[in-house]
Amino acid sequence: MKVLLSITLLIVSSLPVLAQQKTPPPPGPVRPLNLPKLTEKKLANGLTVVLAPLPNVPKVSAILTFRSATDATDRTTHPGIAQIAAGVANEGTDTRTSKQIKEELRSIGGSLSLFADADQTQLTATSLSEFSTRMFEVMSDVAQHPAFPESEVKLAQENTIQQIRAGRSNPGFLANERFQKAVFGNHPYGFVVPDEKSISALTRDDLKAFVTKYYIPNASHLIVVGDIDVDKTFAEIEKAFGSWKSGTVPPDENPPVPVREKRQIYFVNRPGSIQSTIYVGNVSIARSHADYFAIRTADTIYGGSFYSRLTRNIRESKGYTYAPFSSSNTQAKTGSHLAGASVRNEVTGPTLLEILYELDRMRVLPVTDEELDAAKQFSTGNFSIELASQLGLAGRINTVYTYGLSKTFIDDFRPKIEALTTADIQRAAAKYFDTYHAAIVIVGDWEKVKDQVTPFGDVTIYDSDGNVVKS
Amino acid sequence: MQRSVIKFLLLALTMTLYTSSLHAKPLNVPVVYYKLSNGLKVVISEDHIAPVVTVSVYYNVGFRMEPKGRTGFAHLFEHMMFQGSANVKKFEHAKFIEANGGSLNGHTDFDYTNYYETLPSNRVETALWLEADRMRSLDISEENLKNQQNVVSEEVRVNVLNQPYQFFEWIELWKNAFTNWNNSHNGYGSLDEINAATIEDVRNFFKTYYAPNNAVLTVVGDVDAAEVKKMVEKHFASVPSQTAPAKPDLMEPAQTKEKRVSQPDKLANLPALATGYHVPPQNAPDFAAMALLVQILQGDDSSRWYQRLVKEKELTLDLTGGLNYFGNEFDYSGPMIMTTRTTYKPGHTADEVLKEMDAVTAEVVAKGVTEKELADAKVRYRSNFYSQLESSFGKAHLLSVLALFRDDPNQINSLLTPFENVTAAQVKAAAAKYLVASNRTVIDRVPETKTQTGQ
Repeated sequence: MKVLLSITLLIVSSLPVLAQQKTPPPPGPVRPLNLPKLTEKKLANGLTVVLAPLPNVPKVSAILTFRSATDATDRTTHPGIAQIAAGVANEGTDTRTSKQIKEELRSIGGSLSLFADADQTQLTATSLSEFSTRMFEVMSDVAQHPAFPESEVKLAQENTIQQIRAGRSNPGFLANERFQKAVFGNHPYGFVVPDEKSISALTRDDLKAFVTKYYIPNASHLIVVGDIDVDKTFAEIEKAFGSWKSGTVPPDENPPVPVREKRQIYFVNRPGSIQSTIYVGNVSIARSHADYFAIRTADTIYGGSFYSRLTRNIRESKGYTYAPFSSSNTQAKTGSHLAGASVRNEVTGPTLLEILYELDRMRVLPVTDEELDAAKQFSTGNFSIELASQLGLAGRINTVYTYGLSKTFIDDFRPKIEALTTADIQRAAAKYFDTYHAAIVIVGDWEKVKDQVTPFGDVTIYDSDGNVVKS
Repeated sequence: MQRSVIKFLLLALTMTLYTSSLHAKPLNVPVVYYKLSNGLKVVISEDHIAPVVTVSVYYNVGFRMEPKGRTGFAHLFEHMMFQGSANVKKFEHAKFIEANGGSLNGHTDFDYTNYYETLPSNRVETALWLEADRMRSLDISEENLKNQQNVVSEEVRVNVLNQPYQFFEWIELWKNAFTNWNNSHNGYGSLDEINAATIEDVRNFFKTYYAPNNAVLTVVGDVDAAEVKKMVEKHFASVPSQTAPAKPDLMEPAQTKEKRVSQPDKLANLPALATGYHVPPQNAPDFAAMALLVQILQGDDSSRWYQRLVKEKELTLDLTGGLNYFGNEFDYSGPMIMTTRTTYKPGHTADEVLKEMDAVTAEVVAKGVTEKELADAKVRYRSNFYSQLESSFGKAHLLSVLALFRDDPNQINSLLTPFENVTAAQVKAAAAKYLVASNRTVIDRVPETKTQTGQ
């Protein structure tokens, strides 16, 4: 018996053809999440500091977030001032020239950059962890003492104007700009780039006044993740940021989002275009809204993952496009849902039909249990992958403070996703995947595709500078 | 061998140069490396910082090796690897990975094609099973080929043909800088040739290149190496090996005079310029010096070219580029050019931009770089290197290419050494040798309707 058995085994293991397993192996036991412990502290000047040790590499990553231009007067008087200020803040401080800042960063293996959107101005810095003290010093200097030298302001104005002109040759830039304007109108989220006149009108004094008002510790938070010792790093932060003076928190004013009475097509004419770049979407909700987890998961099933309905339909089945996508973009005040694809001119109409059909299918019919289970695994699994990188974790913690989420957001993520039912998904889709009121943006060659587009709704035609050509 | 020569030359300078490097924590990436009897190279590296694992398979074939008359084929084939195998239906690879909480992708490069998935580490065997199934039994149908020819054609349209500049700093620069077709042809492919591919082409390519003895399997993350070894044996050991493919001829004759090309651009609003200089091979003694020279000239916004063109002369809007357009110093295997791309302001000319770049180069050739500049470049290099190792995929990538091209993934722990040993004299010498006009190709990309862009 024994001998026979071992001979059988021997034969089996030397026969390659038999080794092909038909079904996927079952998962092993779930491994512990090991999430870094977060420590929240406050400096005397009001700066909120959150620290998380994540020693995956000997580096440190930090995000310091200020408010953006939340005062409506600042936005109307100086459109784009938050963006230009963010672009020039690291081009010189009272004690460092632009070049000295870049050289200091180079010598600590570091980086420092700023960007501004309607909710926040974000200053992100990284360095080797052995040089964290010096990184905090540069961050603090840029936050507190940006000098806005005349020559740097002028250069940034000229370059921004040219960069926007360059952007207007890119279909993705044009589609995004038109979509934001269509969905958010005069709400700050509808603002993408300033016009050339507003850029040229900005002065050094305007920029200095802006940062004095908005770059204040008591309306800011600093998230630090990396190869750090919490107490030692906090002492470094106290030293670097402790003398930063607090200010008056500026008002937060937002006009309402426009209501679209019916589906509308916004066509940006780009003669000679060999593809139509299509965006379809609607206003949705703020990140802090209770429907956040449902709309996010509905989006995963619709077009927000590779094995999504939209990708299977217009890519894998019909071959219309390379990278169809959808995304649920929820921010501090409100948000949008967006689906899109870039397709050859000949299939512009058929693609629109399928994008709308798949949106409607989500509203009218429940998703299957299998689809929902897969979407839950996708969300929770990829969430832990995101949290395994320094900037991924820092960025996620930052959203808790910038979007005013529950402090337990990260811990709650998995249970909240897991609790969703197919009815929750259908309810969210019915509310937010509203094809009847959808904004449809198409960047393409009007003469080539107009007959395919007009059956879907009323069309307003724009040129690439954003002017209405015909409505 | 080259390392000991460099060390010998270095002795006198070591103390000052090493001030910052001495602080470096020694790198200690655990590496298990072995080969299965069918020739498959296997790399396993445990990392328990998060419950995540990356599984990747790197095949020793890139677009340099695709057949003549079939530009874009290696990449089209990459798409076919998601079209199903004996036990996995079309596109279900994506379903299995995502429904297990992961993400996935593939990429075709000069000299390799990779497939990878990152997912919760308790699902590692699912990924191994999927990779083994398609390595063993790719299922190819006419219908799926036609579908992916359409998809890839749209990819080329969205990333190249419908974009301003049309990737000229890659496609046009390589076409002009190289003479050997394997190196110079467009790896994204022409639409005609992509659509001319047949099912026979796909079958032959699979048989020739997608064999275990032409691949590296890498597993990085929160796993037990001994357990993974057993799983690898179970799923991969019986995949049959094939006759090793012939080595491609990548020999490139030395360039002897400058090449200058001017091209009209129908879609762009602003002019742009790209330059490419041939660099020494990776095993040359001056390769590390060349890499740091690239860092010093264009590595970040403190770099010499960036400072001169964007800040001091205000000629250009941006400046990007590097030693390997798609990757790093280690993930290719053949001739390479250092590329630079810059969008310049209307009213200026390519000659003005080149004149300033050349003036900066001439300064380096005449006076060399400062000790401080070099020390900083090394810190920057080390910091960038660590960033590559931060994610399980980043680490898997380096381990995979080291196994693929050098048969030695353990080098990951000593990769920085030659770069830390570079001297200022070597950087200066590299500039004098390689940054000469006769070694470069220049492409000036000019908007066709220049009238609108004045001011």
